[in-house]
Amino acid sequence: MIEIKYPDVLLDSLENGHMIVDDAFNVSYWNRWLSINTQIPKEEIIGKSLEKFFPQINYKVLYRKIKTALTIGTPTFYDVNSAKKFVPIERNKVTTSSLRLMQQQVTISPYIACENKVMISIYDISELFEAKLLIKKEAQKVQTLNEKLEADKEVIDKNIMVMKTSTNGIIRDVSSFFCDFFEVTKRELLGKNISMFKLSDTSDVIYRDLWETIRSKIPWSGELQYKTSKGQKKWFLARVVPILNELREIVEFSAVFHDITNEKLLAELYITDPLTKLYNRAHFDETINFIAKNQRKSDVDFILAIVDIDYFKRINDTYGHQVGDDALVCVAKNIKKSLRENDLVARWGGEEFVIMLKNVTLDEAQKIMEKVRSNIEKNIVCHDIKVTASFGLTKYRENEEPKETFKRVDDALYEAKDGGRNRIVVK
Amino acid sequence: MNLEFNEEQIDALREFMNVSIGAATASLASLLDAFGTMHIPKIEICNSSELSNKIESTVDLNSMYYVTKQLFTGKFGGECIFLVSEASATNLGRHLYAIQTPSCDEVNDAVIELTNILTSTIVSRLTQELGIQVQFFVPYLHFTDAHSIVDDGDISKYSKIIIISTILDFQDQQIKGNIYILTKDEAIESLRALIDEKLEEIYG
Repeated sequence: MIEIKYPDVLLDSLENGHMIVDDAFNVSYWNRWLSINTQIPKEEIIGKSLEKFFPQINYKVLYRKIKTALTIGTPTFYDVNSAKKFVPIERNKVTTSSLRLMQQQVTISPYIACENKVMISIYDISELFEAKLLIKKEAQKVQTLNEKLEADKEVIDKNIMVMKTSTNGIIRDVSSFFCDFFEVTKRELLGKNISMFKLSDTSDVIYRDLWETIRSKIPWSGELQYKTSKGQKKWFLARVVPILNELREIVEFSAVFHDITNEKLLAELYITDPLTKLYNRAHFDETINFIAKNQRKSDVDFILAIVDIDYFKRINDTYGHQVGDDALVCVAKNIKKSLRENDLVARWGGEEFVIMLKNVTLDEAQKIMEKVRSNIEKNIVCHDIKVTASFGLTKYRENEEPKETFKRVDDALYEAKDGGRNRIVVK
Repeated sequence: MNLEFNEEQIDALREFMNVSIGAATASLASLLDAFGTMHIPKIEICNSSELSNKIESTVDLNSMYYVTKQLFTGKFGGECIFLVSEASATNLGRHLYAIQTPSCDEVNDAVIELTNILTSTIVSRLTQELGIQVQFFVPYLHFTDAHSIVDDGDISKYSKIIIISTILDFQDQQIKGNIYILTKDEAIESLRALIDEKLEEIYG
């Protein structure tokens, strides 16, 4: 073991304050750190009582702590978080600081027990304390944010239909509002497949588009039709978002639904002919004008057809309007069932219907219309009158105004009528 | 790692603890001018996950507590926890600072001081009995509810712990506190070895 020849040099080299005092608080050692930080040189304080220089210290407590250290032979400590500073030392930190005075850890260690002397060591823990205050402040911020988040979460849960599913459509979570709307409990939904809400008679085109879009990691927005637990059909505006992990892999899907059933019903009412349930003239006009204006390649390839029930006035006059209406409904159903899903049919007015047959040639259109004509002739009988219809057909020409197309198709229909009715004329 | 204590080892540890607690009571009487009693220590070895429940079962769940934790290290190392209810801590502050309404800082410092005396005396005496030395670290204090005295996350890394617990009671001053000395896996093994050495030394 080496003998430390110059303990003064050793204690002066430490980055902490060290003093030796006895139980009467007389200072017998004062290191360099203390001289610099308190601005009291050792020559001035050694041999004198600490009380003269630092009257704010509670000497009753200090005495007890000195006695404790001397009696039990181990260090005693002051509370490190205390706002009261053992020795007030100004901090010279220029940048932002929450502490004006140095935060201290004070340890009283037994030094020479027989002389009742202890060593009081002062450690600067300001940076640590500041970090602790900062963490506390940040933790409070996080707590406030969490509380806000929880409150927002509750608002969302109670007022918005939200669903989370796994990548294969298994329901992982739903909001309370979703459950209330669909009249199911959360428990009944978790673990089930989203397809339980799918309507069997709804086109797969939309679902396919949805699935392909979200699998490409792109959010999908659109209208969906679902059924409630009681089988009610409902329309939703939906936004389905794929949730990605840090490797950009899809981990789940999150969907938000907004019930648009009422808007949808109103909109349908606005564009539907109340008798035949086909689209009305206004909707057909809007569609054909939109196509003519935008001239999209995929839209402009269509055949326009007009169907007119032969001798309709005679049916009305002979059997009354109710029978006439029945005939209109039967013809409308017949036309509708002979067409494809993406063809458009509307009641044009009176006993006339207008049809847009998409992506077919005139020959193909003529065959389809012939089937319709034949079906009407064979199947629709009002009392003892066989119902027939005449057809005019024409192809829409690119960049053509719709009125020009209608002029041609009207001419074709006129020819069909003039030629003896119950026939098709193509222009 | 063998963490089981046999009867003989438990008896010896209990005896060392009795001596240590006796020394602590004497220190308290002379240093704080208060005559207190300390219960016979209870020694348990349990899984770390049980600690929280064990502590909760000994405190009043409706009170707020001053919790001081002080680490000690050496051949036998661990952590001392001293719990004192808000009411007891205020009484302690009144007694040590000789004022009717002690400030928050004064109550904190009084609790730290009592912890210091208790842990230093008990652990120092115990380690003195075992013939080893330990170093004490600065005690840290926090004020919390009875359910948050031990955060389960704090002790998840320990598999086995030894709990030596006792109750300190100053009837005149209405101050009551619970003391726990906790030590974990390697330190338990080390404690067992030290007890064996001591028994060998005494009985040959």
